[in-house]
Amino acid sequence: MKVLIADDSEFMRSLLREILEEEYTIAGEAENGVEAIELYNENDPDLVMMDIVMPIRDGIEATGEITDSDPGAKVIMCTSVGQEQKMKNAIQAGAEGYITKPFQKPSVLEEIENVVAG
Amino acid sequence: MQIDIDSLETYNRLAREGASSAAESLSGLTGIETHVEVTNISLMAPADLKYEYLGGEFSGVRIELDGALDGETVLTFDEAARETIADVLAPGADAGMRKSSIEEVGNILTSGFIDGWADHLDAVIDISPPTYLEGSGTDVLPAETADADEQVFVFRSRVESASGSLDFHILLVPKRESLVEALEPTADDAVPFEKLEVFNEMTKSGAERAADNVTTMTGLETDVEVNRMRFVPVDKVPAAVGDQRYVGTVMEYTGKPSGYLVILFDRPSAEAVVDALVPMETDGEWSEMEQSAMKELGNIMTSGFIDGWANVLESSIDHSPPTFVSDMGSSIMSPIVGRMARSQEHAFLLDSMIRTDTDGVFRCELFALPDEAELREVLDDLLVERADKTHVDPDEVF
Repeated sequence: MKVLIADDSEFMRSLLREILEEEYTIAGEAENGVEAIELYNENDPDLVMMDIVMPIRDGIEATGEITDSDPGAKVIMCTSVGQEQKMKNAIQAGAEGYITKPFQKPSVLEEIENVVAG
Repeated sequence: MQIDIDSLETYNRLAREGASSAAESLSGLTGIETHVEVTNISLMAPADLKYEYLGGEFSGVRIELDGALDGETVLTFDEAARETIADVLAPGADAGMRKSSIEEVGNILTSGFIDGWADHLDAVIDISPPTYLEGSGTDVLPAETADADEQVFVFRSRVESASGSLDFHILLVPKRESLVEALEPTADDAVPFEKLEVFNEMTKSGAERAADNVTTMTGLETDVEVNRMRFVPVDKVPAAVGDQRYVGTVMEYTGKPSGYLVILFDRPSAEAVVDALVPMETDGEWSEMEQSAMKELGNIMTSGFIDGWANVLESSIDHSPPTFVSDMGSSIMSPIVGRMARSQEHAFLLDSMIRTDTDGVFRCELFALPDEAELREVLDDLLVERADKTHVDPDEVF
């Protein structure tokens, strides 16, 4: 399974990469929402781990655009934001999972399994 | 109890003028120039007041107030100021005379501090004979706060001299019922005191979540030790933060309310958290990865801090990606204050200190500066019964 990581933090991308690359193939790393959309279109990943607070374009907007063009896209928000309204916005944009930072490896892998299993 | 925010501005001015009067008196008595560094009004738990006086020996006077303003004033000098005053006013005198000189100076300064309040209230404020104080921490706190559970308003001023040899603090803690009368609202947009208390509690919950996030990410045990809401002239915010060097992050948040959140670690604490996140050899400069780790920590702490506001208010608050900062506290705050000063004269400065007791190293301060007018709207909209709804589990939404 190919996973795209979208997070503006180099530190957080490296942390996620460490967790994911044992089990999955990393399909690319994006630093903002625009790059996430571009890399999604180029690499056709099976899953996107999407941060919310990013420069240029935030993760919820990027998720909306990805799921508009590919209704089958699977996106998990991976964010520090724990606001109920943002969670609802993420659902509206098409996200299927939501992980709040700081996270532990088991919770990330469990959320991925849940989302992939549908 | 209703609080008229505009009258807080008036009382902040009175406290500042009173402190200026006290500073002038002291300069007149000693010949050493002094100035009011900062004056503010804080809403805080009495237990947090002890941090005012940690790490030093102080002496001064405690004076009880009665009449138009009922409560207590404590004026304290640090050790250097105590020596300076005694040397100038009672050179070569015995310990008893030196103590008496401190007592009398404290008495004179406190009277000068209180006179403006009486004039403003057009009433009499009786003051008790001064009680001499000496010690640190709770030894020199207003007695009124010793066993109090409820949050209290504290009017505080810090007066400094250029040489650092004549610094003193004044704390005024009015009794709540006395403050009710003094702050009797004349405007329609008065805020219930209960809402200010609740918002302060929400802020403390946010700081606790931010502290928990630090612990989860770094393994360093942390706790929120001080939480207070200060009302301060906006141009005095940099002085309120101080000139110590810090490392941390600045975030702007937009929504309801909008504002800034500044997270500052002292250097050893910053090095400790970054080392826990990205252990690597460094040459004293902050590498890109280290800055990224610090920014991500700031990002996660910010969410922990402001998400509770959004959830209680059933609104949404966005925040910008963090900016890494390494500078003096006052220099970090100055550009923020410059932007805020375009639209407001006073600011609510929400200040939480995260510390650890385990090794004495970790110290981090969170300074939130919400837009004053928007905070008034937030307080107006705040439903006290939703105050505990700060946390939302994503699993319950998804």
